Amino acid sequence: MRSPYLAAFLAWLVPGLGHYYQGRRGKAILYAVCILGLYFVGLAMGDWKIVYWRWINPFKYSDKFCLYYPGQFWVGLAALPALIQGTLSYLGHEPILWGYLAEPPQIVINGLHPRLSKLVEIGTIYTTIAGLLNVLAIYDAFDGPAYSDDEDEAQSDTQPAAIGPTAGARA
Amino acid sequence: MSLLSPNLYWLALPLVIVVSIVYSASRHEAWPRIWRRAIRLSVLIMTLLVMATAVLLFFNTQV
Repeated sequence: MRSPYLAAFLAWLVPGLGHYYQGRRGKAILYAVCILGLYFVGLAMGDWKIVYWRWINPFKYSDKFCLYYPGQFWVGLAALPALIQGTLSYLGHEPILWGYLAEPPQIVINGLHPRLSKLVEIGTIYTTIAGLLNVLAIYDAFDGPAYSDDEDEAQSDTQPAAIGPTAGARA
Repeated sequence: MSLLSPNLYWLALPLVIVVSIVYSASRHEAWPRIWRRAIRLSVLIMTLLVMATAVLLFFNTQV
């Protein structure tokens, strides 16, 4: 019996890994390609400088709050360095991993829009939506799909699948 | 940048396709159904986007 909690954690850590752990390898590849592809293409559009985190009070300094990171965070390991770098910066340490996903200097952030124009916004949208899509994948790993394999179109609108921790209650 | 600008609209297409595929995959387990629903959802989202853009453009030209 595969643990749905471990599957959900693995699905957060690397998109598709939870499904691979469950033996659903096709879906694992699909989620990994779609979600990581969207995330890294978006990150590249923003010159690898649009995913970062800073620890500040969002009620006091709402203009400096990294609004998109709570969405990007759900991509897992690929976005986790931003949280680590933000924490290191808050504690007064130097960034690690050659500054990967560390908050760029303000002059660099200010220069992104004039240099890349709309690509910064589109890249931010791509990376944020990639994270939010992984929430769907995490839920799929935890609870299984809404509809099962063998039911027909008519049944598919009403009959839930018998996969996941609540399968016994639903079957 | 003005010459490149119209091409930026095409960047909505991969986003819509990925959203549709991942959403359909999270709802279904059978591959034919995943692809079928993903295509359907992609067309629906693109239609809604085009319609919304057309309506906004229409009002934009009236003001």
